[in-house]
Amino acid sequence: MIDRRHLLQGTGLAAVAALGGGACARTPDSDASTVRYWGMGAAVKDKDEAVKAAFLATDAGRGVEIHIDQVPSSGAADMSQIITAVRGGTAPDLWWMDRFNAVLNASIGLLEPLDDLIEEYEGVSVEEFTSQWLQFAIDELTYEGSVYGLPTSTDARGLLCNQDVLQGAGEEFPFSRVDAFYATYQPPNAPPSRIALFSQRLAITATGPWQNSGNRKYAPDLPLTWTWLPVAEEGDPTYTWSGGFSLVMPKGSSMSKAAWDFMTFHTGLDGQRSYVPELGSLPTHLHAIEEKAYDPTAELFRQMLPGSTSRPPLPVGSVASDAMDRAKTSVALGSKTPQQVLEETQAMVVPKMDLFPGFRMPETYGERQEIEAA
Amino acid sequence: MSVPDTVGPQVTEPGVQRAAASDRAAARPPDLPRRMNSGQRRKLRTGLLFISPWIIGVVVFILYPVIYSISLSFTRYSGMEAPTWVGIQNYVTAVTDPLVAKAASNTIFYAIIAVPLGLIVALSLAIAMNQNVREVALYRTIFYAPSLIPAFAMSFIFIVFLNPQFGVFNQVLNLFGGANVNLLGDPTGVKIAIILMAQLGAGNAALIFLAGLRNVPRTVYEAARVDGAGPIRQFFSITFPLLTPVLLFNLITGVSGALQVFTEAFIVTNGTGDPDAGALFYMMYLYKNAFGFAELGYASALAVLLFLAGLALALLIFWLSRRFVNYDVEAG
Repeated sequence: MIDRRHLLQGTGLAAVAALGGGACARTPDSDASTVRYWGMGAAVKDKDEAVKAAFLATDAGRGVEIHIDQVPSSGAADMSQIITAVRGGTAPDLWWMDRFNAVLNASIGLLEPLDDLIEEYEGVSVEEFTSQWLQFAIDELTYEGSVYGLPTSTDARGLLCNQDVLQGAGEEFPFSRVDAFYATYQPPNAPPSRIALFSQRLAITATGPWQNSGNRKYAPDLPLTWTWLPVAEEGDPTYTWSGGFSLVMPKGSSMSKAAWDFMTFHTGLDGQRSYVPELGSLPTHLHAIEEKAYDPTAELFRQMLPGSTSRPPLPVGSVASDAMDRAKTSVALGSKTPQQVLEETQAMVVPKMDLFPGFRMPETYGERQEIEAA
Repeated sequence: MSVPDTVGPQVTEPGVQRAAASDRAAARPPDLPRRMNSGQRRKLRTGLLFISPWIIGVVVFILYPVIYSISLSFTRYSGMEAPTWVGIQNYVTAVTDPLVAKAASNTIFYAIIAVPLGLIVALSLAIAMNQNVREVALYRTIFYAPSLIPAFAMSFIFIVFLNPQFGVFNQVLNLFGGANVNLLGDPTGVKIAIILMAQLGAGNAALIFLAGLRNVPRTVYEAARVDGAGPIRQFFSITFPLLTPVLLFNLITGVSGALQVFTEAFIVTNGTGDPDAGALFYMMYLYKNAFGFAELGYASALAVLLFLAGLALALLIFWLSRRFVNYDVEAG
């Protein structure tokens, strides 16, 4: 039978071994030809594998090793995983990131600026190099004049209409019941097949091209058609907004030539060709748009791109977006007037913006961009 | 430290040695600590070694983060660059932030209803589990089983259960002629839904109540019966007073849990706290600031305020407990 002394010694050794094991856990590879990449997500990891395979088949990809990790986020704006990785010295070289978070992440020092890499490896100015992509997507990745990422996919918002429900409608629906309507027919976390649109409760909804795959899968027989967002007066220019993703280099990235080559391939024409049509979104690379490297059902959204822009790229964008979402529900419930919620939103956002004195959004933000079509 | 006098170095004449030690102990002022001999020190070292995993855990995962969080609360800190000292600015912001007030009022609303209701449900379950019937083990399993369902799974179950269109809750209401109720679409209703959800986790508190019930001496009941006390009188005059130490424990843990309500609200509202911030609980707002807005300094200030509020409530409950907790009868 084991005595107390040996039990204690064994426990101590086990603790030391555990600590030692933890210390020897996976650490960043220092090899310049190895690229650690946090990918698009487990559900679409095949797209990551496809673009990786396409890159490795190129001259630039020869001899490069790419490790793909899918790191789930517990929220669209939850940065805890990436901050922990950066602080722990295990940051990836490349990270697939929602563009909306770029300015916030750049402002807190989470991302590396790419300007030096562009000049070193591409031999052109930042402006010339970034002119390959949609301007609003580049604007969303720009903070204090520096570029912090390259855009991958994008989208736009239009109106999806159910013709049958529209023709059968005759009753005016008070706006104050909109929230109750959605809570009834499309509560949070509703299964994709049980949304109000598919249960024929909803005639019109504002959504984007990603909805097409759901339409095909869950409601192939519904008479659904897309149209533009309405404008105030007939003849007014069209308007919509676009989100999307990007590749960025977090602090601690190797910023190696291999990482840069994979980044430019991934976000370039060949990379976007390989995954954008599958994702159901739109490309951000102008040549990919020109050669229609996207799902044909997204064509109307491609036409919307010249009049589109991103949400305002602010270092307090998450706070502003959160406050605006809340404002929307307050108005829908009738608990506050639009004037009240806008004043409250302003009161919430302005003190936080005051912490960034002198901040200016890119001058091109909100400008129309003509896009060549095939 | 109180150590038995018999512990000490081996001597040839133990009786004489013991008597001498006893004389020295009598001569020493009672408040001065005794010097430990080598055996005692060895035992202390062994004891500390045995509890060292706990000590390390407390220091690394509780003490250090608490102290670090307090220090961060006086800074502006995103998690990346060095914290910038801002004094009490975060606390001033917290006091003037309308969402802090909203989140605090939501949390207090939840605590005021969920904690007493939870105690009543748990006590009722414990009494049901304590019945002297043959199949009591089956009942105990059934009553306790919902507590084993993780909060996130329970939240998804409730989303479907309460759905106004196809949820079981409304279908039952309809059976009795009631109109559909849309709890999750109403700022107060969503809080009530989360309070109801919390009651399915009452099994843990019920087990503690059950242990308390089993410890009440049967002789007291027998004496009461002889005196002609019925079941209700026995409950209010014997069971309840003797359960008050257990009630105090469940009350403290219940209040502590209520102040930290998070998971259910986060899932039910998709992380938004809506409709109309009706389910934006304090911990959710703290989480948003820490990990959504990268304002760890401000979030730390919110955490310190929550800690102070929890501490004040606990002290208040302990102070009040002198009036209602009965320690007179030991377990028989």
